[in-house]
Amino acid sequence: MKTKFTRICTSILLFFALTLSAYAQQVSGTVSDENGVPLPGATVVVEGTSTGVSTDFDGNYSISASQGDTLVFSFVGYASQSVVVGSSATINVSLEPDNSLEEVVVTALGVKRNTKALGYSVTEVDGTELSANPSTNAINALQGKVAGVMVTGSAMGAKGSSRVVIRGTSSLTGNNQPLYVVDGITINNNNLGAAGVWGGTDFGDGISSINPDEVQSVSVLKGGAAAALYGSRASNGVIIITTKNGLGSEGLGIEINSTAQFDMLNNSLWDAQTTYGSGFNAQVPSSKEDALSEVYSAWGPKMDGQLVPHFDGISRPYVYTGDNQEKFYRTGTTFSNTVSLSTQGENGNTRFSFTNLDNDDISPNSTLDRNSVGLNTTQRFGDAITLDVNMKYILEEQGGNPRMSDAPSNSNYSLKLYAPSVDVNTMKGPNGDGSNEDGTEYRTTNGIYSQNPWFAAYNFVNDSEKERFIGSVNARWNLTDFLYLRGRVGTDRYDYHRTVSTPFGTAYQPLGSISEYKLSFKQLDADAFLGTDNLALTNDLSLTAFVGLGSNYVESESVSANGSQFIVPGLVSFGNTKNKSAGYGYSEKKINSAYGSAEFGFQDFAYLTLTARNDWFSTLSLAGKDAPNNDLYTSASLSVVLSDALDLGPDISFLKLRGGYSQVAGGADSPYSLNLTYGIVGQGHLGASLGQINGGRIPNTEITPFEKNETEFGVDLRMFDNKLSLDATFYDNETVGDIVGVSASATSGYGSALANLGEIANSGIELLLKVKPVVTDDFAMELSLNYTNNDSEVVATNDTGGNISLQEPRSRNLRVTHIVGERYGALFGTSFVRDGNGAIVHELVNGYPRPKIDNSRKILGFGVAPQQIGIGASFRYKSWDASVLVEGKSGGQIYSGTNATMMGTGAHKMTIPAGGREAGFVPSGVMEDGSPVTISIPHGQQSAYWGRYNDAAEAGIYDSDYMRLRQLRIGYNFPSDMLDGSFIQAASVSLIGKNLFFISNSVDNIDPESSYQAGNSAGLEWFGLAVPRTIGLNVNLKF
Amino acid sequence: MRNTLITFLALGFIFASCEFDKGFEEMNVNPNAAAQIGVGNKFAKTILDTSGGRYENWRNSFIYNSTLIQHHATLAGYWSGDKYYRVDSYATSLWDRNYPSAVKGIEDIIQQLKDEGNSGSEMGMARILRVFIYHRITDTHGDIPYSEAGKGYIDGTLKPKYDPQQDIYMDMLKELEEAVAQIGGSSTMGVSDVMFGGNTTKWKAWGNSMMLRLAMRMTKADAASAQAWAVKAISGGTMTSNDHIAMVRHTDGPGGINRNGHGEVFLVDSQARMSDTFGAHLAGDPRLSVLFEPGNDATTIVGMPNGRTGSDYTDQSGNTVAGIPNRHIYAQPNAALRGMDVPMVFQTYAEVEFLKAEAAIRGWTSGDAKTHYENGVKAAMMMLKDIYPASTAITAAEADAYLAGAGAYDASKGWEQCMNEYWKATYLNEYEAYANWRRTGYPTLTATKHPNSETSGQIMRRMIYPGGEASTNGESYSAAVARQGADTWMTRMWWDK
Repeated sequence: MKTKFTRICTSILLFFALTLSAYAQQVSGTVSDENGVPLPGATVVVEGTSTGVSTDFDGNYSISASQGDTLVFSFVGYASQSVVVGSSATINVSLEPDNSLEEVVVTALGVKRNTKALGYSVTEVDGTELSANPSTNAINALQGKVAGVMVTGSAMGAKGSSRVVIRGTSSLTGNNQPLYVVDGITINNNNLGAAGVWGGTDFGDGISSINPDEVQSVSVLKGGAAAALYGSRASNGVIIITTKNGLGSEGLGIEINSTAQFDMLNNSLWDAQTTYGSGFNAQVPSSKEDALSEVYSAWGPKMDGQLVPHFDGISRPYVYTGDNQEKFYRTGTTFSNTVSLSTQGENGNTRFSFTNLDNDDISPNSTLDRNSVGLNTTQRFGDAITLDVNMKYILEEQGGNPRMSDAPSNSNYSLKLYAPSVDVNTMKGPNGDGSNEDGTEYRTTNGIYSQNPWFAAYNFVNDSEKERFIGSVNARWNLTDFLYLRGRVGTDRYDYHRTVSTPFGTAYQPLGSISEYKLSFKQLDADAFLGTDNLALTNDLSLTAFVGLGSNYVESESVSANGSQFIVPGLVSFGNTKNKSAGYGYSEKKINSAYGSAEFGFQDFAYLTLTARNDWFSTLSLAGKDAPNNDLYTSASLSVVLSDALDLGPDISFLKLRGGYSQVAGGADSPYSLNLTYGIVGQGHLGASLGQINGGRIPNTEITPFEKNETEFGVDLRMFDNKLSLDATFYDNETVGDIVGVSASATSGYGSALANLGEIANSGIELLLKVKPVVTDDFAMELSLNYTNNDSEVVATNDTGGNISLQEPRSRNLRVTHIVGERYGALFGTSFVRDGNGAIVHELVNGYPRPKIDNSRKILGFGVAPQQIGIGASFRYKSWDASVLVEGKSGGQIYSGTNATMMGTGAHKMTIPAGGREAGFVPSGVMEDGSPVTISIPHGQQSAYWGRYNDAAEAGIYDSDYMRLRQLRIGYNFPSDMLDGSFIQAASVSLIGKNLFFISNSVDNIDPESSYQAGNSAGLEWFGLAVPRTIGLNVNLKF
Repeated sequence: MRNTLITFLALGFIFASCEFDKGFEEMNVNPNAAAQIGVGNKFAKTILDTSGGRYENWRNSFIYNSTLIQHHATLAGYWSGDKYYRVDSYATSLWDRNYPSAVKGIEDIIQQLKDEGNSGSEMGMARILRVFIYHRITDTHGDIPYSEAGKGYIDGTLKPKYDPQQDIYMDMLKELEEAVAQIGGSSTMGVSDVMFGGNTTKWKAWGNSMMLRLAMRMTKADAASAQAWAVKAISGGTMTSNDHIAMVRHTDGPGGINRNGHGEVFLVDSQARMSDTFGAHLAGDPRLSVLFEPGNDATTIVGMPNGRTGSDYTDQSGNTVAGIPNRHIYAQPNAALRGMDVPMVFQTYAEVEFLKAEAAIRGWTSGDAKTHYENGVKAAMMMLKDIYPASTAITAAEADAYLAGAGAYDASKGWEQCMNEYWKATYLNEYEAYANWRRTGYPTLTATKHPNSETSGQIMRRMIYPGGEASTNGESYSAAVARQGADTWMTRMWWDK
C-alpha cells in the first residue's frame, strides 16, 4: 500500500516542480460602474485568500498581490469580476450590472472556485432561502429547490429526522444520506432514534441542530466528481454549509431576526366515514364490555341517536361526534429570535449571534427548545497569515416526542381508528390527562396494545437534551507569493441525555419502566495542505493545485440505566424501580487520508481538474487479515466555456459544456465488525452469568468499502442577457461491491452474512430552467423550474441474486425488498388472486364471498419516487417582494397501513357500498368458477369480508404522487428614506406560508409524505401525522 | 526556488514514510467483547432462551396451543386459537424466536465443546438440551431445518434444508442414547445448569424420559420403532420421582430473560379463562381449586365454554352461539401459578408414569398399567407444591381419595384415562399437551364453529411455516412442502398421520 501512495505523492509533487517563480507587488486602480462612475465600498479580494480591501469614496484601491493571483472585484448589485494580476501594477475595472457569470462557489474541502472552471454540477443555495423560510430542521428548506436532491421529512412533525438523497441511492442497505460539512469540518448526522415495525420514537438527526438563521450559503456537491476529494465518504454527495461572518459590516452591525410560526393539523386529506358507529355485526355495543372491545370497530348500524353504552359504562347518543384528530391536536407555535453583532475591521471581521427557538408542536405536550450561540471570526496576522475561527454551541431540549408506527402509545392509531360515535374528549379521565385517579391508564379499549391518546401524550416520557459544540480553526499561511499552507482542525462533539419512560399503569406494561441514556460523541477532523492558486505555467496554461493529509476520528461512548416495575406509583425515577440494569457502549474509528488536486486552465476557457485521494480505515484493519485496509479514489473533470472560446453571437450570453468521471466510495464504516465476538448479557441468573454471540450477522473479515463510479455531462446555457438560463446535467453511476447481507434463513441462527456483492445503477437528469421576463427598476420577475428524474436499478443483490429484505410494516404482509433488475426498494407483498381480466377472485366462506389472497409475494410498487419537480416564482415590485414554491414528486408508491387498517375496522369510506351497508354488499369480482359474484353479503357479515380484504398488502398500496404548495412568502422592505433619521438601517417584514395545501394527491386519508422513518425503507406508512400547515411572520431589523 | 524544492522533497519524504494505518489493528478490537467465553455462560443463557420470552409463550403456547386443546377459553378476538382464526405471526412465534436464540446458542455450545475435545457430561447435557429444543419446533411445524440449522457461522450454511420429521426423530433418539451414555458422575456446569444444578443423575433421567416421550410420539407412524425406543428408554432409567422434574427456575427480574414467559403474559393479559372442557374433567379432582380461582365477579369456579365472543353469532352449522358479556364470572388461573418467578416445566415425572402405563397397556413392557397410572396421578397432584408456591400443595390423602373416587382406574378405558390425566398434568406445558392430544385424540374435544375459522371449524393440526422462509430459504421450503403436504393448518405431520 505504501508503493501506491508514494506514486501518488510523486505525481502531485511533480506539479509543483513545474512551478515558476513569482514576486509580490502592490496593485492599485479604480473600480467604476458600467458608465464609468466610481464605486465606493466595492470589495477587492485576492482569490483563495482572505486578503481583501474596500475601495474608497473615489473608487480607488490598493492591494498586495502576486503575479498570477486573481483579484476578485465585487459590489452589491453588480456582477463580480476576476482579473489575473499580470506585469502591470495598475488594474482598473468597470463592473457590469448583475448579469455576469463569474460566480464563486464553495467546493470540496472548502476551496472556493470559479463556477466556470467546474467540470461538474454544484448547486449553491443562498442562506436567505433558509432563513426567509425557516424550518425547524434547516435542511427541509431545500425541499424542491435543488434538482437532483430529494428531501423528505418524517411523519413526526417539527422535530423529525429528514432524509436527503442526492442522485439516487448508492447503497442497498447502508447509509444513503450525504456527508455534511459545516465551516470546513464534517459533522455528525446520526439519527438518535427511529421507529420500526414495532413502533418507536424519532429523536431527530444531527443536521437539525444547525441554525437556519446563521447559514450564509449551502453548496450541494451532487456527483462523485464534485465530491471525490472526500474519498470514501463521498458516495452520497456532500452538503457544505458555510455560516455567516462579519464581512461587509462597517463599524458595529446589529441584526435582529424574529419569526413566529403557527402550525396547524392538516387534515384536508382525512375522509373517513361518519355514518356507521361503534359496534359489530350491525349491532350497537350492548354493554360496557362490548364498548371496550368495539371502540375501534365501526361495524355498528347507522347512527340514529339512540343511547348506547360507551367504554366507561356511560350511555351516550349514537351520533357522529366530530373529527377526533381536530379535537386532540393543537395549534403549534414556533418562535425563533436571533440577535447578531458583527464588525469588520482592517484586518478581520467577527460575527456573534444568539438564537432562541421555542417550539410547541401540534402534538399535545411535545416541545422543542433550542438555544444556539455562534461566533465566527477572521483575523489577518501580518501579510502572510490568516486565521478563521468558527464556533457553535447548541443546547437543545426535546420533550414529549410522540411515538410512531405500531399501536402501543401511538396516539394517531387510536385517534384515526376510533369509531365515529366515539369521542376522544370523553377519554380525558378524572385527571384530564388520560389517567385514572390512581395515575393508571384510563382504559378505552380492552386491547392492551393501543393507548388512550391523552395518556400517551401526557404520561409517557420521551425527553432528550443535547449539548453540542462544533468548532474549527482554519489557518492559512502564504509561504511564498505563489504557495500557501493551510491547516485545519475541527471538532463536533455532543453530550446527549435521553429519558424514556412507560408510565406506571400502562395497559401493556402495568408496572412501567424507565430508561436513562447518556451518549458522549466526539469527532475530530484535521487537515493540512499545501497549494498554489492560479499559477501561470505558461501564457496559456495556469495551475491551481494542492496536496494534503487528513484524518477523521470518531469516538462514541454511551451509558444507560434501565429500570422496570416502579415501586412508588407516579414517581418517574430510575431509583424507584424494582429491576435495574445498566448498559455501556464504546466505539472508535479513524480514517487517515492523503489527497491531491490539480486544475489546469487553458486560456481561461478550458479547465481540466484531476483529483486523487487514498483512505486508510481502522474499521477494515484486523490482525492477520489479507484484504487491504485502504483504497484509492480518483476523478477527472473538464469544463469548456464555448462562449469564451468562440463567438456565438449576441443572443448567447454564456455556454459551457462540462463532463466528469469519478470513483468514490462508501460503507464499511462500522468498527468491530470483522470478527465474531461474544458478550456477557443481562445480570446473571441464580448465580450463573449469561453469555452469547454478539449480533445477528455473520461477520466477514474480507469486507471492503463499496465503489461508486459516476460519469456526468452537463451544459450551462444563458441567453438574451441572461434572461433565459438552462442548466442541465445527465449522470450515470454504478455502485459495485456494495456491502450486503447475503440472505440467510433465520433457521441458520443469523439474519444475514456480509459480503461485497451488491450493485446498483442510477442514471438521471437534472434540469434547472430560469426565465426573467421582466427586469426593471421597479418590477422584476423570475420563474424557475427544476426537474429531477432518477432511474435506479438493482443490478445485483447477493450470491444467489436473492432478494434483500428491508423493513416491514406492522401488518407484516409486505416488505421493502431489493429485487434484481427492479428499481430500488420494491414494495413486495401479498396480493389478491385475480382472473385473466384482473377481476378479484372470491371464494365462499360460511356461505359468503371473500377475496382470495395470494400469499406468495409480488411487487406492488416502489417506495422511492423517481421524479421531483419544483416550480418557483419570485416577484419584486418596488419595496415588495413575493415568492412561491410548488413542489411535487411522482412515480412512487406508498403502503398506507392507516388505510389498510381502516378498511378492516370499517372506518374507510370504501367499506360503505353504494346503497349503504344495510342493502347488502356484492363485491365486484368473480367466483372461483369464473362467474361474477352475485351473492350479497348482509350487513352483519361485511366486517369479515373487509377483515380478509386487507390481508392483501395490495389493499393498502397507493401512488404517492403529490403536488403541494411548499412555500409562499410576501415581504416588504422598508425603503431607506423611510428609515432616514432613525437608528434603523434596514428593516423588512414578511409573511410566510408553508405546506398550505395540496394541489394534487393520490392517497386516501393520509399525507403521502408521512413515512414513519428516514431510513432506506421508504414508502411505509403506519398511522403517521400529516405535514402540518404553517403560517408565520418574519421581521428583520438591521441597526 | 531551491527552498521550495527542498520543502517539497521533505514533505514527500514525510508522506512516503508515514504509516497511515498505525495503530489501526488495535483500535479495531472491541474493548467490550470477548473472542470466546466459558461454555457455562452460554449454557445458562440457552436454557433460558429455551424456556422462552413473553413473545412466543403468549402467542404459540397460550393463544394457540392452550385454547386449541381447551385448557383455556377466551372471548378476545386476538386469542386466535379459541376459534381457529389465522394469525401467521402468532403461529410462527416459537420458530421465529427459537432459531436465532436457543438453536444458535446450542449449536455454538456443541461446537465449542467439540473444539475443546469435550466428550463427557457437558457434551451429553448439551445434546439432550438440543433435542429438547428441536423436538418442540418439529412437533409444532413438522419437517424443519434440523441437521443444518443454527450453523450460519460454524460452517456458513445460510439456507438450511428441512429434514423429514421421521429422520429428525430417528436422529434425536440416537442423540439421546449417545448423550445419556456419555454423561458421567459429575459435570462442571454447576450453577450454569439452571435446571438441575449440574446433577448428572437427573440429566440422565431426563435424557431417557425424553427418549420415552419421543418414542411414544411415534405410535401412529411407526409403532415398531416406538416400541423399541420406549423399551430402551424405560430400561435405561427414566425419572423416578418429582425430584427429577425437568424445569427451568425463574426469578422475577431483573430482566425479561430471568422471568417465566407465561408469568409475563399473565401480568398483562387476563383474557385466559378456564375452559369448561377442562373444568368438567377436573370435577372431583382436588386440582380444580388449586389450578384455578373464581373470576373477579364470581365466587365459584366456573369454566367458560370455548368459541364464544362478546356478542351472539351464527356458527357454521347455523346455530346461534350466545354472546358472553362479562368474562370475569369465569374462573381464571390461580394467582399462585401466574407468577413471573415460577419455574417453566419441560417434562415431569407424572408424564413419564402415564407413558409407561401406555407402554404397559400396549403390552410393550411387563409393567402394571394401573400402578403407573396411579403413580402418575399422585405425582401430578403432589408436584404442584414442588413447582409452584406451597399454597398449591395437595396431600397424599387427597390424591388417594381421588384415585378411589372420580379418578379410579378402569382398565376398560385405561389408555383414555391415562391420556386425559396426561392432558391435565401438562397444564402450562401447552406444547406437550397439544402434541399428545394430536397423537392420541385424548381428551375428546368438541371443535368450535366460528364462521371466521381458518379451518372450517376443525382443530388445527399444526402451525404453518413463517412466510419469510419462502423468500429467504425458498428451495428448502418448497422441498418441505412438496414432501409434507401443503403448508396449511390441517396438514398432518409424519407422526400425526
